[in-house]
Amino acid sequence: MIIGNWNRRKSTAVLIAVSVLLLAGVMTAGILLSGQAMETDFSRKNEAPSAAFLFGTDWMGRDMLARTLTGLSLSIRIGLLTAAVSSVLALLLGIAAATLGRKADAVISWAIDLCMGIPHILLVMLISLAFGKGFAGVVAGVSLSHWPSLARVIRSEVLQLRQAPYVLTAEKLGVSRLRIARRHIFPHLLPQFLTGLILQFPHAILHEASITFLGFGLPPEQPAIGVILSESMRYLTTGKWWLAVFPGLSLVLVVMLFAVTGNCLRRLADPASAHQ
Amino acid sequence: MKLPQKWICILLSIFLVAGTLSGCQSGDASSAAPDGSSQAAEIPEAERDSVIIAMGPTSEPESGFDPAFGWGAGEHVHEPLIQSTLTVTNPDLTIGYDLATDYSASDDGLTWTVHIRDDVKFTDGEPLTASDVAFTYNTVKASSSVNDFTMLDYAEAPDDTTVIFHMETPFSIWPYTMAIVGIVPEHAYDSATYGQNPIGSGRYILNQWDRGQQVILEANPEYYGEQPQMQRVTILFMEEDAAFLAVQAGQVDLAYTSATYSDQAPDGYSLMSVDSVDNRGINLPVTGNPVTSDLAVRRAINIGIDRQEMIDNVLNGYGTPAYSVCDQMPWYNPESEVEYDPEAAAALLDEAGWIPGSDGVREKDGVRAELTILYSSEDSVRQALAADLSNQLGELGISCTIEGVGWDTAYDRALSDPLVWGWGAHTPMELYNIYHTAPGSDSAQYSPYSNPTVDSYMDRALQSPDLEESYELWQLAQWDGSTGVTQQGDIPWVWMVNVSHLYWVRDGLQVAEQKIHPHGHGWSIVNNVDRWVWQGHGAPA
Repeated sequence: MIIGNWNRRKSTAVLIAVSVLLLAGVMTAGILLSGQAMETDFSRKNEAPSAAFLFGTDWMGRDMLARTLTGLSLSIRIGLLTAAVSSVLALLLGIAAATLGRKADAVISWAIDLCMGIPHILLVMLISLAFGKGFAGVVAGVSLSHWPSLARVIRSEVLQLRQAPYVLTAEKLGVSRLRIARRHIFPHLLPQFLTGLILQFPHAILHEASITFLGFGLPPEQPAIGVILSESMRYLTTGKWWLAVFPGLSLVLVVMLFAVTGNCLRRLADPASAHQ
Repeated sequence: MKLPQKWICILLSIFLVAGTLSGCQSGDASSAAPDGSSQAAEIPEAERDSVIIAMGPTSEPESGFDPAFGWGAGEHVHEPLIQSTLTVTNPDLTIGYDLATDYSASDDGLTWTVHIRDDVKFTDGEPLTASDVAFTYNTVKASSSVNDFTMLDYAEAPDDTTVIFHMETPFSIWPYTMAIVGIVPEHAYDSATYGQNPIGSGRYILNQWDRGQQVILEANPEYYGEQPQMQRVTILFMEEDAAFLAVQAGQVDLAYTSATYSDQAPDGYSLMSVDSVDNRGINLPVTGNPVTSDLAVRRAINIGIDRQEMIDNVLNGYGTPAYSVCDQMPWYNPESEVEYDPEAAAALLDEAGWIPGSDGVREKDGVRAELTILYSSEDSVRQALAADLSNQLGELGISCTIEGVGWDTAYDRALSDPLVWGWGAHTPMELYNIYHTAPGSDSAQYSPYSNPTVDSYMDRALQSPDLEESYELWQLAQWDGSTGVTQQGDIPWVWMVNVSHLYWVRDGLQVAEQKIHPHGHGWSIVNNVDRWVWQGHGAPA
């Protein structure tokens, strides 16, 4: 992926910048349009896409473009929050498992296996229900079910780093543990962590949309993508394709943007790319 | 190597979506093809005395066809078909006879004597006698969780054709209860198996029941009344969109549908609209809500909403304005009806001190006229009604937000916020349930309200020895000239629309005239399926 005379690192950085800008744009547009997304006007119900309503309108005459953007914006915000929470959780548990001794390791590893053993969607639904659904339910459900894989990566990384020759040497030289953690371990952990964090977004967003679609997430008056898609199911057989196609494709697009960002970041963080 | 894979996935998904969409379109095209082979228009000779009907999945009786577990009764009242009942409701919702030849109540209303015909046999050949009737009522009283039988003490059969009901309390509308309780055979009743293998004396025999799929009814050859025209009735349980697809494919003769589909025109079918008392309304808590506790606000809402606009917007025109929970029933008081008058509504609010603020929202003594309108979150019609109501009230200066709730919390929330409800039954008991102060409480059950005068009319109506006379008392409970639950009265509920029940009917199928349908869009349609006929099948084109 080389653009013009930029090298690969540079174009990757540009790609990241573009993705982030797009996502930020969608997020702000959604927040600005949230009023319009809820507005019903029965004089314009069930209209196919047109210049006035690019994504058409639904059975209550709501503007699907505004609804889609608001839904995506909500998804992105939930994604940010849940990815942040679950990554921090993963970081803490991963480090704890690697440093607090054998018992802690056993307990945390067992918890990781347990969490990964239960199908995600089921776990998210159960936790969301337990937290009373809605925004809190979705955030809790997705955050509490998405930490294990990253925690496992961090745990093994820390275990490896602790045995690295330069860490052992530093220990022999009498460098304080805190300084070792800061100078030698943390910088090596950071790329893994950041990549892991960003790669959580697509998962978080898709899971938010899925459980909302299934009725275990956000309430039906919220213009969330899951709500929009599940509402559209009723109208597909009558040929109102625009209710599902545009919101669905937009969701795919946003998820892909996050995935691209994550992959690019990983490439940047890869030491082998330093000379490109 | 990751990227190509991803792109393949995306391409595949796009093809999948495109395929589905074009699949729908080609389906349309083929059914509209002018080659005369269209499935929809032809009915094989052999099947002209049978009919296939699509109902919603919730219409399937969970506990089977046992009256003790709600078959025929409960929220969605209908005739039990497989069993006979003592009475029936006439087209005008007065009372007629099925098994009964006459009935009478004692002057204190505590004893009902019913004589039954002596020529009725169960489908296993045994005669139906009064002791079967008494057994049925004593059984439903003991085990029914769906119906309220607390007013009945016990039933007894002094001889083969006489049943005596001993009541705990007078209950003048007992004939309406008698119209929904199917009579089961005492000699062949086992509560564990009866639901799956019901034996009755009704027009139809349960031939087959594939749980989750279909019920097949065959005409009862020994039926004591007029022989059913439709020999075989197949009922399929499917979701609304599946039912519509089945219509498009010509697989069913009649299918329930909703306003969402009313602009479609499947080939070989027409849309039938049946009037209903299946109403939608909101409760306006008389206490516990600072806005709706003001009588002027409740009155302003009742005359300030354009019901016809709701019907056009939400129901695509398939509905009638609702002014009470019992429109057009014999116990309906026409005084409930009001004219849409937004100016008068605004004047009422102004007069009561609700003055519009700078943002157009009215305010009185520091209280803003703001309401949260709740609706059942899985019901798109109620959601749209709530949205339309919210728009209309916004114009009156009452700012509304709508919120979807599950039934687990809806009942509690409705005690302080308006909720969009659906009611409408073939019994005046519904007035009692909604407006009468609940026993042991100082307020009605579903929304805070209490009016001793209204209560006393209903109590007197229930104690009345004569059913016809009780209608008038039910009407007085709604409005007696000085108090009641109508616009001039306390108006604790505002009724918006009656949702007409819509069906796709295959050309040639003559559906017998329907009574006003009650709440629930299920078995009511087949109340008289025995009198449906196929017409107009001379020479197939």
